[in-house]
Amino acid sequence: MTSQTDIAVHRPGPRAWLNLIRAETKMVVRDTAGLLIPIGLPLLILVMNGLGASTQELPGLDGLTAFDVYVIPIVIAIVVATIGVVNMPSFLAYYRRTGVLRRLAVTPAHPAMVLAAQVVTSIVQTTVGIVIALTVAMLAFDANPPRNPGMALAVVVLAALAMYAVGILIAAVAPTGNAAVAIGLVLFFGMGATGGMFGPVVNLPDAVARVGEVLPFGAVTAAVGDAWAGQTPESLHLISLVAAIVLSSLGAARFFRWE
Amino acid sequence: MLAIEVRNLHKRYGQVVAVDDVSLSVDEGEIVGVLGRNGAGKTTTVEAIAGLRRPDRGTVRVLGLDPHRDRARVRQVLGVQLQSSALHSALTVRELVGLYRSFYATGADPDKLIEAVGLTGSRGTRFEKLSGGQQQRLSIALALVGNPRVALLDELTTGLDPEARRHIWSMVEDLRAGGVTVLLVSHLMEEVERLCDRVALIDQGRVVAVDTPVGLIAAAGLAQRVRFRAARGFDPTVLDRLPDVTGVEVAGEQVTVTGDGELLHNVSTALVHAGVVATETRLERATLDDAFLALTGRPFAQENS
Repeated sequence: MTSQTDIAVHRPGPRAWLNLIRAETKMVVRDTAGLLIPIGLPLLILVMNGLGASTQELPGLDGLTAFDVYVIPIVIAIVVATIGVVNMPSFLAYYRRTGVLRRLAVTPAHPAMVLAAQVVTSIVQTTVGIVIALTVAMLAFDANPPRNPGMALAVVVLAALAMYAVGILIAAVAPTGNAAVAIGLVLFFGMGATGGMFGPVVNLPDAVARVGEVLPFGAVTAAVGDAWAGQTPESLHLISLVAAIVLSSLGAARFFRWE
Repeated sequence: MLAIEVRNLHKRYGQVVAVDDVSLSVDEGEIVGVLGRNGAGKTTTVEAIAGLRRPDRGTVRVLGLDPHRDRARVRQVLGVQLQSSALHSALTVRELVGLYRSFYATGADPDKLIEAVGLTGSRGTRFEKLSGGQQQRLSIALALVGNPRVALLDELTTGLDPEARRHIWSMVEDLRAGGVTVLLVSHLMEEVERLCDRVALIDQGRVVAVDTPVGLIAAAGLAQRVRFRAARGFDPTVLDRLPDVTGVEVAGEQVTVTGDGELLHNVSTALVHAGVVATETRLERATLDDAFLALTGRPFAQENS
């Protein structure tokens, strides 16, 4: 076989990455409905709870209120989960279904670049969503910042990774964009309901609460709540999140198809 | 060196054999057409060359390179237009051409390319809002945005109106002038006859014939036909005895003579000698369509209409 030395190997550089990230961001921003859920829904939950009576200081928490340690974690979990579990897989499944990934596969860009660009876009969205929610919480409802900001940030990063991993798994198994949204929403509301999104978990049957606690949504709210209160999150919750990352990634790697 | 070399390509999906045994060589700078009915294996062959499918058997080389092992090199020099693939729906024409341009080391100027495919008026329109024909033009632009040395164009002008089609054809002729190798999958005989140096006829997963369009028509061994009108009572024996004539049919005033060689000249001379006044005389040559039918033994249009 003749070797072709006159054709240089060239992989897409920083400009290509930047363009692709910009493209994914435009896709998200121009999909108004998709943007409304991760920004709007957490705000709605925040305001509803903020107007309720949960602003009393809790005993033994050094001035923190139930709003700080229960509502804010749930709001953060909603932002992270809607973006990771509902939005991202719907884009990826749609890209595969319609041949966007196939088209990219015949250019020097690898379709995996889209996956990476989606994750970057999701991180930006998550950051924006959380910053908006926290700003409203602090300005309108006198929320307190976390007692252990480093820990809180670390837990949020872990939470985001877990949700994105679940999202990529959904994208891997969903045949269409619509199916991905359906699976994502069912998972989101299932995990949310058992993880305290609609009310304190103490009101749930014990077995349901136990399951909800180790699912990513429940684990995120519990761990973020602990970090907000300045405590080290329970290892059960951290292990649950790590398990979600590992299992979902393995599943996604096994089932993900580019076309 | 060969721009594209396919040797004994075989590809099946489950029990269905998509490509049985296809071999094809395309020289640099050549425009080669691939003709065949739906399901003949054209698109699978193109996808194997593009590196989207791994052959079950056989080898594929693009400028001497394996599209899988030398992916990064091949992708830089190979432009592909796929049948029916979508793009980022919310991005505009300009954004998409710019995005795809950034994947390549060298390439076309996005604005000039958009102008060349006639999309300047829609450069700010989102992909999802483009008409079918506009999407097709964009897809052609993206295949050429990296200034490829080899272009695979699958169903190049499907969905385009006659004017746009001719415009795109002249673009392909410009590619030829620039030394670009083109493999063109098509259903349109007119397109193939106009653009292609050679044509490969694929039928049921195999290459049935490879030749120039004229050569294919000749190889099909199809007779020429001369038609004319003559007054009623025309006597066919006037033409029967001519050496190159194989048949004469008279239907009312319409006479059809089949044969080969210098048919038109011989028929005209014989008519003049016999004192027959013939009007509307015309020579009908076999088209690529006719050749296709003759070489594959089945009607072409049946499954494509």
